[in-house]
Amino acid sequence: MGTDERLQELLSKLKENVIEYEEDQVSEAAQALVDEGFDAYVGIMDGLAAGMEVVGELFDSQEYFVPEVLMCADALYAGLDILRPHVDMTGREEVKGEVVIGVVEGDVHDIGKNLVKMMFEVAGFTVHDLGADVPLADFVEKQISTNSDIVALSAMMTTTMMGMKKAIVSLHEKNPDVKIMIGGAPVTGEIADVFGADGYSENASNAVSEAIKMVGALRRM
Amino acid sequence: MSMTPRERVINLIQGKGIDKIPACTGFGSVIVDGLKKYDLRFAHVHLDAQEMADAAAATVELAGLESAIVPFDMGVEAEALGATLNTYAHSEDILYPTLKDKFVSKAEDISLPSDIANAGRIPLVAEAIGKLKERVGDDAAVGSWMLGPFTLAGQVMDLNELLKMSFKQPEEAEAILSKLSEMVIGVAKAYADAGADFLSLREMGATSDVLSPRSFKKQIKQFSEQILAAIDIPKVYHICGDTNVIITDMADIGADAVSVDQKNDLAASREKIGEDVVLFGNLNPWEVFTEGTVDDVINGVREAMGAGADAVWPGCDMWPDTSVDNLKAWVKTQHEFEPRRKA
Repeated sequence: MGTDERLQELLSKLKENVIEYEEDQVSEAAQALVDEGFDAYVGIMDGLAAGMEVVGELFDSQEYFVPEVLMCADALYAGLDILRPHVDMTGREEVKGEVVIGVVEGDVHDIGKNLVKMMFEVAGFTVHDLGADVPLADFVEKQISTNSDIVALSAMMTTTMMGMKKAIVSLHEKNPDVKIMIGGAPVTGEIADVFGADGYSENASNAVSEAIKMVGALRRM
Repeated sequence: MSMTPRERVINLIQGKGIDKIPACTGFGSVIVDGLKKYDLRFAHVHLDAQEMADAAAATVELAGLESAIVPFDMGVEAEALGATLNTYAHSEDILYPTLKDKFVSKAEDISLPSDIANAGRIPLVAEAIGKLKERVGDDAAVGSWMLGPFTLAGQVMDLNELLKMSFKQPEEAEAILSKLSEMVIGVAKAYADAGADFLSLREMGATSDVLSPRSFKKQIKQFSEQILAAIDIPKVYHICGDTNVIITDMADIGADAVSVDQKNDLAASREKIGEDVVLFGNLNPWEVFTEGTVDDVINGVREAMGAGADAVWPGCDMWPDTSVDNLKAWVKTQHEFEPRRKA
């Protein structure tokens, strides 16, 4: 079998087994990819991330629900843990950037935030995860101490979402250049504009492309 | 002789004849003006029976709402099982209490209190129910509520783990739900013994936004059925979110009435379950009652009634920053409608 064919075979195995939430199969494929000298970055992007994209579609069409998505995420992480250390960034863009992420104070729902975090990690961002129920001051402190390009705020309830407004003002006061993106069930593009956020994402996959745009804007400054 | 508001609420839930539709809800309806009236701090009302009763009674006194509901926070059951409640006492804003400590990873981690009625804040809520009954008399029905066992499980254990466990280790998940169902039954009994007129069972964790309908039918439903079967007073079953796909399961789960929120298409639900099921819903508490104008409330009530509700309920707890005028508009508009079952 030619190397191209073999690579495609392994990418397919990664992708399909993320979709089928078969952790062991994903690990096996990831290890084989590394052992056989293929590009780990391609494995992540065209195998794991490609699989997760399909999972997202299955979720949107209500074939997959949250438990299934979580198991797919576990399968993805199994592959990511194996592939990440072998990623060779020479010739590619630098590490995408640093992100502080968390769920705002008063809110303990973190599944969405965890999926966004995972997508950031897949894409090569360095993620500082503050968890859930995070006081405003902690977001500010973490952004300053890590000098992160982006702060990503999440809320699941309309009421806790209101806390984002204050957080955005505070973060911008301390560091006008930091890019703030928000998301979560009650959040919409309009609300993001009203709150003064720099970016908004409807779902985890979009979060990453939004973030890449924002970091690009920062780099050009 | 005309019925009292309290009688109306009780009959409404049980599908019996009423002379007028009461404006009521099974969920928290404490408002900022009520807190002001009795000089209360939100962070503290969860911790004192008198304050809790005052806060709940205030909405009846100020707006004429025909139900009075305690408690307001969602931490009662979990706290009684051993979790720590955070009331955000330091905060200037209104923050609902949340829970710390996920102390369960398997069924044997759950220790049911030997005397549930005296565990945690359950006696406090029971006391508040008693005080509330004296206060509001027949002007309002006094209601309380419990979380469903799946929702409760998601509070005391890592929710990610619970969701995956429902797939990977279903017997363990069921063992956990079984124990927690016992807890919820004990809580329900304590509230009923304290004099509650009606109870709501809130299983929001089982929403079809999160769980497949198949999982709900196979694993979750039976526990709600068990709990409802053990309750002898009027009882309502509620799940938030997009519940149209499970509405027939909700309708035959053993409650007297079913409640849905704003993501549910109420007209479609009514069509599916037929005319005999008592159905409440489904106004967006934030958008309509808090942010909306009086006209938005009026239109919302009319729309929900037009869609086939037996009575308009908000989709969830009332956000405290809701005006008395908006609540009064709800009460007034609700009274315009003829009951589906006349006394």
